Amino acid sequence: MSLIALQTAFETYLTGDSALPSNELLEQIRGSTALSALEGLQIYHNAYRSRLLAVLREDFPALLHWIGNESFEQLALAYLAAWPPRHFSIRWLGEKLPEFISSYVEEPQLSPMRELAELEWAFTLAFDAQDVEALSLETMSDFSAEDWISLRVSLTASARWLQLQYNTLELWKAAKSGSLLPDITRLPTNLACLVWRHELVCQYRSLEPAEASALQFLIEGGSFAELC
Amino acid sequence: MSKRKTLGFGLGLRNEYYRQILEERPAVDWFEIISENYLVEGGKALYFLDAIGEHYPLVMHGVSLSIGGSHALDIDYLRQLKQLADRVQPQWVSDHLCWSRGNAHQLHDLLLLPFTQESLLHVAARVRLVQDVLERPIVLENVSSYVQWTTSSMSESQFLSELSYLTGCELLLDVNNVYVSSRNQGFDPWQFIMELPHERIRQIHLAGHSDYGQYLIDTHDQPIADPVWSLYSKTLSYLGPTSTLIERDDQFPPLEELLSELAHARAIAKSVISGATP
Repeated sequence: MSLIALQTAFETYLTGDSALPSNELLEQIRGSTALSALEGLQIYHNAYRSRLLAVLREDFPALLHWIGNESFEQLALAYLAAWPPRHFSIRWLGEKLPEFISSYVEEPQLSPMRELAELEWAFTLAFDAQDVEALSLETMSDFSAEDWISLRVSLTASARWLQLQYNTLELWKAAKSGSLLPDITRLPTNLACLVWRHELVCQYRSLEPAEASALQFLIEGGSFAELC
Repeated sequence: MSKRKTLGFGLGLRNEYYRQILEERPAVDWFEIISENYLVEGGKALYFLDAIGEHYPLVMHGVSLSIGGSHALDIDYLRQLKQLADRVQPQWVSDHLCWSRGNAHQLHDLLLLPFTQESLLHVAARVRLVQDVLERPIVLENVSSYVQWTTSSMSESQFLSELSYLTGCELLLDVNNVYVSSRNQGFDPWQFIMELPHERIRQIHLAGHSDYGQYLIDTHDQPIADPVWSLYSKTLSYLGPTSTLIERDDQFPPLEELLSELAHARAIAKSVISGATP
């Protein structure tokens, strides 16, 4: 078999559901007295899943805590089958998990699960987003009156704006602190939540409705003068 | 005795130890980074990389090059790797003699190649291209393995030797990987090491493995095992002073435990090499 044929057969086995390899692949593998060809192959098969599952557990700890290990593993394996890793960095493995949840479960679980996954992925994105020095109150206090007229606002590069429909922040905080998880409940009105990184530390903050409207107006190009 | 540059005794840089390293400046001669952890836009990893790099020599060690893959080389990855090398100014850049990407998936494992003439020519061409992009020789490491391909017509060490001769690449001898593979495949680890071109060995890796009795798994989550220390000692007495690095990737102990292993490596070097420094 050519190199490409061998690697394709191995890749198909590693990423497939069955721990039993095809005869075609098995014939290409030599075992030893310590490990038969099948046992050796199965070490690779197990390692592939364990490694990827470990990364997803690390990136979505609150979701794992909420739905439990068994359900999380089922979700993760279904996700990996649908969205196998393509990026050279394993850091991007969970990128499509929130989106995948929409096709994996139905309401009423779908929306809160997806929302929690989106919140956790926002922290992952903020963690290593581009370093940008945010405006400080001190700098802003030096702006002239004219500056305020023309000033336009943009969010710092690490910021992610989430619209939460559920008490996801409470759930996330409880999971993070290891406390008893609250029941998931729908909020009376949507809650704007910002996730970003200040220096090296990820931050989050929910916004009051008026605050959220004002900030939304500014980042869409509005000026302070118009806002006031 | 070889005239190659030696960095002394180093540790794999892991985020668990960032702050302690900066605050205490432990007696570590150099650090090796996992390149992929720093191919990001900003944040904690790059901050500590720059800060620690001001005090210690650094080496870049990658896991995603997939030099033996039959897919096209990932040029975007290589471009980012080169940018990181320009930033870090590492002593050298290493990866593994393996394939880690298939035709459709990134497999995130260090998979064994069939050691054939076809593989050799294929890998040699890719090594040359990588070296052209990175503007330096690449250093390639032997991997742990749990199977062999029936089509292999040479040993891994013979393959590394030929590859180095063909391309000028250098070698990272992972003594633990040699031991793990030798136990799993039933070969003589010393013969493996003897078959390598010694003048091309730039660096040694040491790490721990998990012993399942019948076989071993390369887990990097345990202290270095006694047989690996013995093989290291024999290797050093043969090679002379060689940059040595201890890797730990899980079950992270207090840094002091890794420093103690590093002191053990130094003591071995001192006992088997006359005039060994540092």
